[in-house]
Amino acid sequence: MIHRAVRQMVFDELGEDAWLALEHKLGIGPNELLTGMVYDDALTIAIISEASARLNLSVDVCLFEFGRYWIKYAERGSLASIMNFTGQDLASFIENLDRLHLAVGAAMPGAVLPSFTTVSKTPGRLMVEYRSDRTGLEPFVLGLFDGLITRFGATGDVKIADRKANVIVFELQYQDGS
Amino acid sequence: MLLKFTEQQLASLLPAYLRLDSSFCIKAIGPSVAEHLPNIRVGMRCTDVFDFIHTDIEQFFDNPQGVKPIRLVSHCGSTHLFGAAVFDKTGCILAVRHVLSEESMNNGTLYLNDFGYADPVVLSTMLISLQRAMLEESQATAIELAHERERSASLLERTGRVAGYMGHDFNNLLSIIRLNADRLLRKFGHDEKISNLAQIIRETAARGSNITQSLMKLSQQQTDTLLPIIIDDLIRENDTFLNSVVGSGISFDIDLQAGTCESVISYNGLLNCIINLLINAREAMPHGGRMSLSTSVAHGLATRKSDSGETEPSAYIAICVADSGSGMSEALLSRAFEPLFSSKPKGTGLGLASVRDFAKEMGGDVWLESQVGAGTTVHLHLPLANPSAEVQTPHKLGQSTVTPAIGTRHILLVEDEPYALEALAEMLEAEGYVVTPCASGEQAMHALEQQTYHLLLTDIVMPGKTGTEIAKQANRCQPSIKTILMSGYVPDSASLEPGWMFIRKPMDSDDLLRLVASAV
Ligand code: HEM
Repeated sequence: MIHRAVRQMVFDELGEDAWLALEHKLGIGPNELLTGMVYDDALTIAIISEASARLNLSVDVCLFEFGRYWIKYAERGSLASIMNFTGQDLASFIENLDRLHLAVGAAMPGAVLPSFTTVSKTPGRLMVEYRSDRTGLEPFVLGLFDGLITRFGATGDVKIADRKANVIVFELQYQDGS
Repeated sequence: MLLKFTEQQLASLLPAYLRLDSSFCIKAIGPSVAEHLPNIRVGMRCTDVFDFIHTDIEQFFDNPQGVKPIRLVSHCGSTHLFGAAVFDKTGCILAVRHVLSEESMNNGTLYLNDFGYADPVVLSTMLISLQRAMLEESQATAIELAHERERSASLLERTGRVAGYMGHDFNNLLSIIRLNADRLLRKFGHDEKISNLAQIIRETAARGSNITQSLMKLSQQQTDTLLPIIIDDLIRENDTFLNSVVGSGISFDIDLQAGTCESVISYNGLLNCIINLLINAREAMPHGGRMSLSTSVAHGLATRKSDSGETEPSAYIAICVADSGSGMSEALLSRAFEPLFSSKPKGTGLGLASVRDFAKEMGGDVWLESQVGAGTTVHLHLPLANPSAEVQTPHKLGQSTVTPAIGTRHILLVEDEPYALEALAEMLEAEGYVVTPCASGEQAMHALEQQTYHLLLTDIVMPGKTGTEIAKQANRCQPSIKTILMSGYVPDSASLEPGWMFIRKPMDSDDLLRLVASAV
């Protein structure tokens, strides 16, 4: 699922040939894109770093862009209904991310899933704790939140407010569009 | 216990709950109900907002300790709730939730916040939706995989075709080298030095020919030569081997009654067919039994149905393989020739399908007769090479019997490579044939109008008219003419007519002379 999204991003930005070249370089094929399989992170990282080289972005920027892209990807495909259901505004959507991933975990046993907790919620500002067994995904999460702000028609900014052990606190500041 | 929960606790567990007093007055409203029905207020009578489906309102509060299943639909029709009413002395809590469907999930009427944290229905509905999404993606990927496979198959086929063309052209060159080396040998063979050199050239050409043959095998070109073959001899020659295929637990009879009748076929092709049929028969009799292989000459339709349209009754060679095994049901019989269909756990399903392909290619047919419990008989019919000469004794391959009457035999020789044409004409003339050499199809057409020939010997691939077109024309205007086609690769067998012979280039001069002799 994730890999298909990366592929779609490379497709959209650079065209099919670029993706085929990437597949060739990493020695992968459509098999590696079969949904429902849980892959080694190493492969995902390899795909992302190859994609970043081809998109002429640093890995961090690529992860951020991929985060934004994931939101668009999930919105338009067969995941749209789940995305709609998760929340009708930014704050409730983020509050429900764990419930969304709970269902993901049930559908994909073996997936390593994140946890998000909203620790403070004031108009135009959210503080969200992100817990994960993985490291190095901060740029991805920044991109995801950025994508979500856009999804709900708002404008704003996301930054990392604090880092403790395996908890990273993100601060979202935004104004509703309308 | 539910009754003791604070409104806030209830709100997060059951966002669509309602608390009522014993006269149906609303005392508290869950946040999700408030969201969906903005006009609902504390103090209203619940029955003024909702219909209670299949519930006796009069006796609703009869059992203050009980629990009752309930369904509610708002009067405006937009909100459907179901669950249970939990009673106490002061009234009840309607512990209800929204009816969730994939549609309401998708169209923005319900959100995750409308459901409690521990609500299992939400989890399973989301799960179904996720699984559907995953399935859709998997299907898309599977389709991509199939396209990918198609793409590589067609690439492989194109490469194969190119290899085939190259093999063909190369074979033509080798053919010229070989024929001319033979020519040298014939003319100057008495000079030991020249004879040695000519031998070296021949052998090198033969090695080159082996290489093109493997190239063409790779490109899946047929490489077998089609020759008139005495079927009974073929079986006799392989008798020991065929017996070993059948194995010792089965009694095996061979009854050959086709005499010296020939069919123009590929030797290995027919042998493979017979082996396939024997293996099938053997596998139908895991506990032993009887099997027979017989040949005969018959007259009638060589093909079972006249679906090919042009089939006329004629003499043919019938090969039968019969077993006393388990037999096949009608259903099995009707699918037996399907490629990849097998009734056996380890069967590839290619055996009978390849037998049928072979039979059709050779202008014959194959079919089965079977009865459950009574065994199966396979009938393989092949056209006779020379139906009119049925009673005569045709020449046996390998006994080059060139009769003195040869001088009266006219051969129309067509070959666009001038060096090959020259060498062939010289060779045939040296054997005493009268040869009319033509360098193109057009010349050959003209020659056909001038006189009758005993034999047409033609290359297949030529600019302008092809050898098969010339052969068709020749057979039409001179029905008694015999036809031998030569080519660097075996043509699409559909374009060959029954009775035509074929020899693969580069050919051995002796083989060609033998074939020519047997044809005329
Ligand atoms: C329909 C929507 C979504 C689906 C199907 C989905 C599915 C997944 C899956 C399958 C994984 C990880 C699999 C693995 O590690 O093996 C994952 C991880 C993750 N998801 Fe989602 N997700 C969705 C939406 C979101 C959204 C909207 C966010 C926004 C914040 C998000 C944030 C993350 C993060 C940060 C991870 C990284 C996991 C980690 O930190 O270890 N997801 N998701």
